[in-house]
Amino acid sequence: MSDPATGRSLGLLICLDCRLTVRDVKSADSNCPRCSASLCVRKPHSLAVTTTLLISAALLYLPANLLPVMDTRTFFDDENDTIMSGVLVLLHSGSWPIAVLVFIASIIVPLLKILALGVLVFSAYAHSPRGRLQRSQLYRMLEFIGRWSMLDIYAISLLATLVQVESFASITVGWGAWAFGAVVVLTLLAAHTFDERLLWDEPCA
Amino acid sequence: MPSVILCPACDLAHRRTAPQRSGRTRCARCHALLQRPEGAAIDTAIALAVCCLVLLWLANAYPLVAMQVNGSSRETTLMGAAAGFYTQGYATLAVLVLLTTVIIPLVEVASLLYILIPLRRERAAHGQRAVIRLLTRVRPWSFMEVFMLGALVALVRLSKFAHVVPGSALWSSALLMLCMAALTSITSPEQLWRWTVPGHPRGADHE
Repeated sequence: MSDPATGRSLGLLICLDCRLTVRDVKSADSNCPRCSASLCVRKPHSLAVTTTLLISAALLYLPANLLPVMDTRTFFDDENDTIMSGVLVLLHSGSWPIAVLVFIASIIVPLLKILALGVLVFSAYAHSPRGRLQRSQLYRMLEFIGRWSMLDIYAISLLATLVQVESFASITVGWGAWAFGAVVVLTLLAAHTFDERLLWDEPCA
Repeated sequence: MPSVILCPACDLAHRRTAPQRSGRTRCARCHALLQRPEGAAIDTAIALAVCCLVLLWLANAYPLVAMQVNGSSRETTLMGAAAGFYTQGYATLAVLVLLTTVIIPLVEVASLLYILIPLRRERAAHGQRAVIRLLTRVRPWSFMEVFMLGALVALVRLSKFAHVVPGSALWSSALLMLCMAALTSITSPEQLWRWTVPGHPRGADHE
């Protein structure tokens, strides 16, 4: 199979900000003639930056899930909620659709994102020719669902603000919430810095 | 206009075909979106942006939810929710919530109005390039729709032990979410740059 014509082989590049096709400019720091964003053939150091962000996210994933995100104090007891026990509370209170939603958004999605992006980075690094279309589609799906993990952060912010009833109940935010917020932001950044086109690049001959 | 379009997702070169008035073009190799439908009217975009601005104000000025337990009542606004994190010592989370639900949506709508209103009169706003670039960069961080779902989860959890009353800001936020989605879909960066070309039709150019 002959190599298909790509921007790289034709000496053209695309401005990722405004999508203008630009004739390849050889100088190191050239800017888009239309929107003056800096141009690059591929996002600089994409794989290294994405890997770093991913490793940080993976390290924080543990405290995010093990440390309490909320501490609920009432007359009778003092309850530490992790993300998972928050899901169980929802499940036991009979709102299982919401429980499933939170479970997917807060536990499955970040884990899936870290693992899948790891696979994508590795396959881009290895120039694997298999399943390129599927990997490309996987990447686009990750980009789309990533933001929904923020859901729990918003829920916690509302709960912690509202439940401050004197002598009845109060909710304190735990460090798990901080770690969780960091995981979400790091995985969003990791997806953002990954250059999809690396999945399609042939190894330089 | 260059005759070659590159796929932003796999770098495959495509020959530009006749301008797509309706429908989208996808990359032949990786199926990424290459061209979005053209021909949105600049007036529609301005109207939607004004609508979003009003809804943003409503969503921030009025309480989101009120909670009643044992005769005492508490309510919070959108910014109050961010402040809740701050008072508990989590400034980073407070900034994250404030940015993604208040500041970035506001920047998005305000910068759109800033460039679209002069463009309607065929003029370029001061610093147009920088503003469009800012808009493109911050847009992925506007999380209004995620916030709505988060608020829903919080309401469900609270409703087990307190009487919860959704406030007017919650309804405004829901409407804002829809208006923002519509606004984003007709003001893609490509469309904005198309409007900046002198003489490009600004109205609804369907025949």
